[in-house]
Amino acid sequence: MIPTSAITNMQSRKFKEVEHYQSPSRDYFLLPFKFHRISVEKEVIVNEVGDFLVVPTGTTTRIVAGEINSGSVSDQELYADLIANFFISESALPDLIEVLATRYRTKKSFLDYFTSLHIFVMSLRCEHTCHYCQVSRVTSDKNKYDMSRLHIEAGIRLMMKSPNPHVTMEFQGGEALLAFENIVYAVEKAKIEAEKYEKKITYVVCTNLALLTDEMLLYFHENKMLISTSLDGPSFIHNKNRHKPNASSHQLAVEGIKRCREILGSEHVSALVTTTTLSLEYPEEIVDEYVALAFRNIFLRPISPYGFATRNKDRNKYEAEKFLEFYKKALGRIIQYNMDGYFIREDYASIILKKLLTPFPVGYVDLQSPAGLVNNVIVFNYDGAVYASDEARMLAEMNDFTFKLGTLGENTYEEIFYGNKVAALSEVMTNESLPGCSECAFQAYCGVDPVFNHATQGDLIGHRPTSSFCQRNMEIIRYLIALMDKDKKIEKIFRSWITGKS
Amino acid sequence: METHQNDDVLNVTIDAEIYPEVVLLKCLYWYTNNFEVEIGKLNNLQYKITLKALHQTETLDWDNIVLKLKQDLIDFKLRQFITNETQTIRELIIAKAFAYYDHEKDPISEISDPVGFSPQSIKV
Ligand code: SF4
Repeated sequence: MIPTSAITNMQSRKFKEVEHYQSPSRDYFLLPFKFHRISVEKEVIVNEVGDFLVVPTGTTTRIVAGEINSGSVSDQELYADLIANFFISESALPDLIEVLATRYRTKKSFLDYFTSLHIFVMSLRCEHTCHYCQVSRVTSDKNKYDMSRLHIEAGIRLMMKSPNPHVTMEFQGGEALLAFENIVYAVEKAKIEAEKYEKKITYVVCTNLALLTDEMLLYFHENKMLISTSLDGPSFIHNKNRHKPNASSHQLAVEGIKRCREILGSEHVSALVTTTTLSLEYPEEIVDEYVALAFRNIFLRPISPYGFATRNKDRNKYEAEKFLEFYKKALGRIIQYNMDGYFIREDYASIILKKLLTPFPVGYVDLQSPAGLVNNVIVFNYDGAVYASDEARMLAEMNDFTFKLGTLGENTYEEIFYGNKVAALSEVMTNESLPGCSECAFQAYCGVDPVFNHATQGDLIGHRPTSSFCQRNMEIIRYLIALMDKDKKIEKIFRSWITGKS
Repeated sequence: METHQNDDVLNVTIDAEIYPEVVLLKCLYWYTNNFEVEIGKLNNLQYKITLKALHQTETLDWDNIVLKLKQDLIDFKLRQFITNETQTIRELIIAKAFAYYDHEKDPISEISDPVGFSPQSIKV
């Protein structure tokens, strides 16, 4: 973080006369920046490339009014910070405009290589009967619900056309391991093609681990594959969320994680929390479970609002406020563990912190502008349909095909990735130009999700004042900045999350 | 700024010279979660805005709402001021950011070359 100036000169927000704003005579020029109140006493100012300063309330008014005086002792430090961090400039065209332009370009450099994450939905079948699951089917009908080999091959061909030299091939379900033979088929095919097209592929299998065998583990090890699993917390939460007839899903997941760590190494296994109404009551217990299982990271994300989940109102439809309350409590517990010497980071916060504290972008689909759909991720469904994101295919399960971009084996790369649908979507994929977001100080840290807008509000642009996406992100970003400002020990912990060094 | 309120409606008269339409729109957008918002012109010098509560709540704390509205109007006025004054420099930063893009390869084009015109041969 840029050092916060110690300014004690509090300004009031009393209404001022029109002249006050009309022709301020200043010794400096303004550069583009935005501001947001983070508390009664403080506001944060954020420049065009996402650098921020926490300053006393009223500072923006003073900057605009030309009241920051480089000659005054009380303003010296603030003045220097504002100049050094591109909030104001002593010349109309700042000498370092090239630096600013390069910084801006770096912030958007996630666009340089286009799609990286290619999700292959290998099967819609699943042996679990989770109440919130949007898409899976308990069935043994492989032909109907597994991805065909023709579609697998067509998906790989499209993946090889991505301009990105480093792609990720992620196998999802239903339960992906029910189609293990096809995963092997897909990896072997992709390996051959990757050599031809000089691509590096990272393989990820998303699984509940219940069906994991030694043979599978061996194959994952040989191919350096990553395992992404779900762990919703202690058994009384996990088993309630993830019902498996005649078995403990939690026990199977925990045993699976242990076996994966032994064979693949800890760094090859990660787990995700899905928060449901039940989970919201137990933030501390969920964090404790992750620590008990020796995890060094935890990803707290709200349940998706789509698919079967939206229909199950009682269990799943909870307010953004409740999630935020849960999130803050869980984050507090995580910070406490770090203070006590156990390194564990929260991933959602880490993504935002990286944007706040470093000049680099983060390739996280939900928090980027232009949006991550198509630019970063593409989904090949079990039936060959191609969707703009994982949520888009979940919508399709509710017969909403708005984000279906084509079909494997039928449409060309150009038709899918540069077709009319994507062209129309790109109009609403930048938060810089969306109502509400365009003036928001957190634009550089936040993202845009037209699929979410469409699913929850019925239009692609969305309505920020009633958007839970906005409510959640605005408060989490504000909260993280306020925490760092309040306690330097917390700032140090947050910095360790993005550097990985405790 | 003059305000009048009754039960679930707040009427505000605003000086058009201080708060131009763009500021009113950007500010009042954030009130549309809880209010039906109407913006009208009283005359050339004044706007009349009406906030009508969308949800029936027992008591609306109009004092706080008016206070917040006044504060928000100032904030959005400030934002607009910065936006207007820095628009050119902002455009310059973005234009420069992407103008320096290095093309590693020549652009691939499907244009044929029947008259000896090849896009690949043009020196950039
Ligand atoms: S979604 Fe909300 S928090 Fe995010 S940039 Fe837009 S207005 Fe800001």
